[in-house]
Amino acid sequence: MSEQRENDELTGTLARATRLLHDEPVPRAAWREAVLEAAERADVRPLAWSVRPMVAIAACAACLILGAAITYGVLHDRMENSAREIVASEGGSVRPGHLPVRFAVEAPNAVHVSIVGDFNGWNPAGLPMHLLSDGRTWEVEVGLAPGRYAYAFVVDGRLARDSSAAESGTDDFGVPNSVVLVGGS
Amino acid sequence: MRCSVRSACGALLALGVFSAAARVAVAQAPAEPALPARLGAPAHSAIVAIMDSARAAGLPTTPLAAKAAEGVLKGADDARIVEAVRSLAKALGDARAALGPAADASVLDAGASALRAGVTPAALHSLGEAGAAPSGPTALATALVTLVDFVAKGVPPALASQSIEQLLRLGAPESRFETLRNEVEADIRDGQSPEAAVTSRVRTNVQQLGAPGVPHPPSSPPSVPESTR
Repeated sequence: MSEQRENDELTGTLARATRLLHDEPVPRAAWREAVLEAAERADVRPLAWSVRPMVAIAACAACLILGAAITYGVLHDRMENSAREIVASEGGSVRPGHLPVRFAVEAPNAVHVSIVGDFNGWNPAGLPMHLLSDGRTWEVEVGLAPGRYAYAFVVDGRLARDSSAAESGTDDFGVPNSVVLVGGS
Repeated sequence: MRCSVRSACGALLALGVFSAAARVAVAQAPAEPALPARLGAPAHSAIVAIMDSARAAGLPTTPLAAKAAEGVLKGADDARIVEAVRSLAKALGDARAALGPAADASVLDAGASALRAGVTPAALHSLGEAGAAPSGPTALATALVTLVDFVAKGVPPALASQSIEQLLRLGAPESRFETLRNEVEADIRDGQSPEAAVTSRVRTNVQQLGAPGVPHPPSSPPSVPESTR
């Protein structure tokens, strides 16, 4: 009895399978087709550059050149401006409202002499002095706006007062400066 | 391939525009005074904070950076440098309060020097009012410089500020203050006391400025005192 039922079920299953094989395939949605197609294509392409290697290399080189050019331009502008400031402050072309002030110090055996003060931010490299033909006097001419300026000479790295100038009365560091008063004329 | 080249060109163009804009921004930014590298990190931070506060209050920061550089050059320790910068910033702020928002950097600098020399804020305020017109800010800066010079020579700050204020109220031009400095310097060299020299020279100048009919005396000799270039 049970054998007969099992045979009937098997026969029914086989009949359904045979019918499915003969039926038309079920139509698939368009989006599903597109996804399947894309997936298939992706499998086919092992590696794809969005930018070709040569183009990428050329672009990187162009970026480097552009960056270098910009950096050069900015630095060049800065140097030109500071050079202009120094030329103006050395009296070559004194800016309007500024007066040429000559500073001089005797340092016969010195190798390098410069002047520092309120007018150049106390920068020892800012205003080098020039040795005159007498071989002992160093001088520089600086364009200064009217005002009161504390200053000192830097003789071979050591600070030195201007013995011919007034002494500053208000030094914050216990080392008196020389003082120059500019303006009024 | 064509698409890739177009993308690369687009990226380069964008980079170029960005860089050009950055360059313009860098070029137009005001040159910020640099602090000396020798400063320790805590002192550097403290001074940067002081300078930021000064900038926010509309005060010039260049003298502050210069003060720090001066301290470094003179081998002062960091604490002393910070204190000096703070003191100068306070003087500049006090000068701003006394002289008003119209005072430019040179006037503020001279005003701060006057305060540090012992001139009171009230006296500086009066000087600012007296110098507002008709002499103008340049004469005020020169007048304050002259005032500081007198105090440095030993003239009491009250007398020096009253004398300078008198001349400013009479519209003394900038050149008058330089002449006055030279005259006082010469008188002191000749043996007069700084106080007496200022008093007599200012009286003469006031008479000249206040009485237009009075002929001016011959100008001071061309020799320039050593401290005045």
